[in-house]
Amino acid sequence: MYSDLLHALPDVFAWTNFAAVVIGVIAGIVVGAMPGLSATMAISVLVPFTFGLEPLVALGLMAGIYNGAMYGGAIPAVLLRIPGTPAAVATTFDGYPMAQKGEGGFALQVAVVSSAFGGIASAFALMLLAPPLSKVTLLFGPSEVFWVAVFGLASIIFLLGGNPVKGLISACFGVFVSVIGSDPIYGNDRFTFGQLEMLDGINIVILLVGLYALPPVIDLLETPLKTDGVSSSKLGTQSLWKALPRMKSFWKTWLRGSFLGIWIGILPGAGGSMAAFMSYNEARRTSKHPEKWGEGEPEGVAAAEVANNADTASALIPALTLGIPGTAVAAVMLGGLLVHGLQPGPMLFRDNPDIVFGFMWQFLFGAILLVLLGGSLATNSFARLLNLPRPLLGSVIIVLMLIGVYSIHGRMFDVYLMLGFGAIGWVMDRLKFPLPPVVLGLILGGFAEENLRLALRIGRGDPMILFQNTTSLILVALTIAVVVGPTLKKRYIDSRKKA
Amino acid sequence: MLNFFKKTAIASAMCLTAGAALAEYPEKPIEVIVGYSAGGGTDVMARTAAPFIEKYLGDGASLVVKNMPGASGQIGVTEAANADPDGYTLGTFNLPGMMARTVDRKADYDKESFTYLANVVNDPNVIVTAKNTGLDTLDKLLEEAKANPGAVTVAMSSLGGDDHFALIKLENATDTEFTIVPFKGSAPARTALLGGHVAMGILNISEVAEFQDQLNVLGVATKERSEFAPDLPTFQEQGLDLVNGSMRGFIAPAGLPEDVQAKLIDAFSQLSSDQEFLDAMAATANPVEVVTGEEFKQLTADLHELAKGVWETTPWN
Repeated sequence: MYSDLLHALPDVFAWTNFAAVVIGVIAGIVVGAMPGLSATMAISVLVPFTFGLEPLVALGLMAGIYNGAMYGGAIPAVLLRIPGTPAAVATTFDGYPMAQKGEGGFALQVAVVSSAFGGIASAFALMLLAPPLSKVTLLFGPSEVFWVAVFGLASIIFLLGGNPVKGLISACFGVFVSVIGSDPIYGNDRFTFGQLEMLDGINIVILLVGLYALPPVIDLLETPLKTDGVSSSKLGTQSLWKALPRMKSFWKTWLRGSFLGIWIGILPGAGGSMAAFMSYNEARRTSKHPEKWGEGEPEGVAAAEVANNADTASALIPALTLGIPGTAVAAVMLGGLLVHGLQPGPMLFRDNPDIVFGFMWQFLFGAILLVLLGGSLATNSFARLLNLPRPLLGSVIIVLMLIGVYSIHGRMFDVYLMLGFGAIGWVMDRLKFPLPPVVLGLILGGFAEENLRLALRIGRGDPMILFQNTTSLILVALTIAVVVGPTLKKRYIDSRKKA
Repeated sequence: MLNFFKKTAIASAMCLTAGAALAEYPEKPIEVIVGYSAGGGTDVMARTAAPFIEKYLGDGASLVVKNMPGASGQIGVTEAANADPDGYTLGTFNLPGMMARTVDRKADYDKESFTYLANVVNDPNVIVTAKNTGLDTLDKLLEEAKANPGAVTVAMSSLGGDDHFALIKLENATDTEFTIVPFKGSAPARTALLGGHVAMGILNISEVAEFQDQLNVLGVATKERSEFAPDLPTFQEQGLDLVNGSMRGFIAPAGLPEDVQAKLIDAFSQLSSDQEFLDAMAATANPVEVVTGEEFKQLTADLHELAKGVWETTPWN
């Protein structure tokens, strides 16, 4: 089964495919470095433009952007204490204090090497785990897939942190959107208002572009430019080769962070920001001098950055094998695969091995390229990016959004739909409703409904079909743990406080 | 008076342009609307056939495939039905789906909306069972279905499609009853069969040709054995009169000028004897069966009758 992996390698090195990864990584770092612009947004704006490209060129771009953006978020996190992406929040804890001490250059080098380490580990996890898992996926019938979807929804609502009630409301909005269109079994119209364009339901890319791209662009145009960050002359950069020996004590943190990131990536629902927080906390807990953390401890930057890149490729494991994307980015990438006629699931590995394994290699090379591209350029050029005129940037993104969404089906209706979702997303953002549950609600809500109904038909109406095998029961137990776990933990901590 | 002049002027202008169009058809690119996204079975058929139609139309004719996916092909076929009948807009057509949609919902077209050019592909249905069921012959399957009505679950790609009609025909012919499990497309249905989550499946031969060792293929719903799997018996060989399949072809809007229609039908009818075309279709697992003009129209009418009959006795929604 791994011989296909080697067979796919030559294609990856075709110059167009390789150039796609290089361009993707650079674009990803740029996008990640812009506060507010995320990997999800960049990839969803990009997807419609990749329709005409060869599959590996399109996928290489996406793999590169994903890897690049997860590191790029560290640049403003270190220099301005503004996380470029949500996953870079934990990077600010020690990265910014380092920059203030004149070690900003070193902080960015730690970030780029750690990001690359995490990305490489994640790519290997995808290569080694996905093929055998794709064989196991035949065990997942409608009732099991239903429970995976329920588990994914539960984890995004309860594990995202913040307010589970707001998370639940966001998820419900997403599930509602999933109901629009013809119903999956009988084909009855639901909430389509007689519009033929709505019969197929709401395209995930349209929702993503609206929700993830419009609110940040509005923010970008609203907030005046601040340049009170550390200027690049004060970074205190030294050559990467001199910096590397100072990082050799991080290997334990790197391994732990990679493991956490990979595991969290595989679970549907959770994503990079949770991986970064958990890795940071674990590394601090086991550190010999935890009191120095938060005051410019390079290992803190390493812990956060390794974990937020380690979930990139592993998040695709459930997406490629089961066809169930666990994160918004995985959902967009899955959309990119579908555009090229690649149906996720066990057949993908059988029918298109060169493309699916080539995609995995592209993840690996994307991560390695981070060191070369990010390391040499980050210290100078990317820091200057933050000074780009924001109105220019904002208007370019809006134009790309409009063209991209129009080109999906070639109709204005979709553009209006996207703007409508953008308005809803902006209001939700202002009211501090989390947006990821909306996207997961749309994706997983559809899966849950369809598979629940299929399962009940197979069981001829008897709901016990949902509890009839071990896989289902394990998933039910996991779901209960995710829902009840945080409450129990809080009670336990409260009772200890009282005692 | 002025109005009269206007009308005459417009009418004569129209005659002139129509005359010009007839004389030199095709004098500009012909658009072929495909109601599915690029890469699907219907799209592959259209793109494979296009260069051959160009060749047979001659005079540097050019066909441009335009994808208008959505609503199981309805958006595209509605667009084609409402286009100007000048021969410069053609569309792909799927049976029995396009006729079933006129029965199970309000469609903006009916069987009179089209000029029928040619059906090109006929992908016959097959009945398969999951390996873990032990139902490895048609007799065993029918025995089980008779002994426990409704106990056999049947995976298929949707309700109101060719697989659904094949099952109805089977039920009527053998006086049996099954439980339908309509997946979203044939790929997930096949995966569920491979995993043994459903007992039986009705698919198309192009979808199971490569899976013969992982599924029990009980028979093919054709009159003669299919070239794709010559070792698989037909149902008629096994004493069951079941012939059904998924058909894909080309239509134009109703009211096409007669000579344009004749020229197009002539071009399409030459496909069946073009070995290069047949090879290209075989490479994409598309069994070719060209039926043109009146015959195609009759085929559509028959399937419309079938869909209407089924809908009246056992509506699927």
